[in-house]
Amino acid sequence: MLTFDGVSYRYAGYATPVLHEIDLTLDGGEIVGLVGANDAGKSTLCLVASGLAPGSVGGALTSGEVRIDGRAMRGTPLHEFATLVGIGFQNPATQLSGVTGSVFEEIALGPMNLGLSRRETVERVDAAMATLAIEHLAEREPRRLSGGQGQLVVIASLLAMRPAHLVLDEPTAQLDPEGTRLVGEAIRALAATGTALLIAEHKTDLLDRLCTRVVALDGGRVVIDAPAATALEDPRLRDLGVDRPARVRLAEALRGRGLDPAVLA
Amino acid sequence: MLALAVSARVLPQLLRASVLLSLPIAISVVLVSVFTRAGTTVLFTIGPFDATLEGVEFAAQTLVRLFAISTSIGLFVLATDPRAFVLDLERRGVSPRFAFVAVASIEAVPTLVERAATISESQRARGLDTEGGLRTRLRGLLPIVGPVILTSLTDVEERSLALESRAFSRPGRRHLLWSMPDRTAERVLRFVLIGLLIALIAARVAGVDF
Repeated sequence: MLTFDGVSYRYAGYATPVLHEIDLTLDGGEIVGLVGANDAGKSTLCLVASGLAPGSVGGALTSGEVRIDGRAMRGTPLHEFATLVGIGFQNPATQLSGVTGSVFEEIALGPMNLGLSRRETVERVDAAMATLAIEHLAEREPRRLSGGQGQLVVIASLLAMRPAHLVLDEPTAQLDPEGTRLVGEAIRALAATGTALLIAEHKTDLLDRLCTRVVALDGGRVVIDAPAATALEDPRLRDLGVDRPARVRLAEALRGRGLDPAVLA
Repeated sequence: MLALAVSARVLPQLLRASVLLSLPIAISVVLVSVFTRAGTTVLFTIGPFDATLEGVEFAAQTLVRLFAISTSIGLFVLATDPRAFVLDLERRGVSPRFAFVAVASIEAVPTLVERAATISESQRARGLDTEGGLRTRLRGLLPIVGPVILTSLTDVEERSLALESRAFSRPGRRHLLWSMPDRTAERVLRFVLIGLLIALIAARVAGVDF
């Protein structure tokens, strides 16, 4: 379980925090969507959840504590975080190591860094590629992949680390519908194994299909934290600059014309 | 060495690279040695400068050495996959961090070239003139070099975060996925070459002149 207990975070060189007293809990197997306008603090929250902020980025937690399974994470070495919380960003080009000659080696980099045996590394890489159905990319040069393929390889690299929690910051930003579907399936499969997932995403239709809960941020504060169906229907989302899912907009349009949205069912 | 280049099928590239690399130094060596080295046999005279036989001999010796050095380096670069080389170093105990930095530095070159080309095309699409005289080309350089450097720095930051999330900073050895094949013939050749090198140095120290 990943817990934020009243966490405020300030970047180095900034006078005011970017996140304000965040209370948030991710239980094992739960998929939590994170929405909000640009600059709402979604990416910062992802960095703090993964330990990269303040661990690598710098800055400071000005209040509160991030806990994993009850253990306060302040001062934990970054390489220990890697097995507890994985994080993926939106641009695959900057997440690929740039030093491997094939997709297989790229996915193997993390497990190798963990000091795993060659056999276990290969086993994890095979499993991660199978989950995302990217076995056909195994021999390809990572630098030559398309944006969507690259993102799938990045996610496979995270899966191969087998973290208990996974944070994805706009994982489908560069994916086509098929790639988005594969990532969605992988997220569901991971949740079924007990992994807790936090997904910052603008595609609310995807969150609608995947998430058990949705959290909305505004100005670094949690303004909505509710079950997905309820949160994504909340009219405040529009004011926050978040597009609600198509089903919600359609139902609203039907109601506006005096029709019963139940006809959609 | 040329035989090795033939067996690695890189002889034409090697000769071209070696000549290109050595040429600037070779020209200055020839000019300085031939015309300024004192000697008793004057071959011909240009103005106040005498070209001596001793100067030509010295220039020829230096050129041979220069060519030997440039072909050695060239052969290594052309015949060795940098990733394979650095992974093998890591297998032999070199720190993974050093291995990463070494490969990343080599691999960064084509990435930078590709990025510069992309930025150059986008700037041209926005009306930047990058062709024509020297002044025009120099003026067009800054809008290309600036973004290349800035985007590279941003990339480095993001890449370091991504690597941290894959336990890059974990101390300790890694189990590599594969190791370089090291055939008996190659091992024997290595020992012979090292032995030969030691023998040559010893002979030189003992005063033997080749």
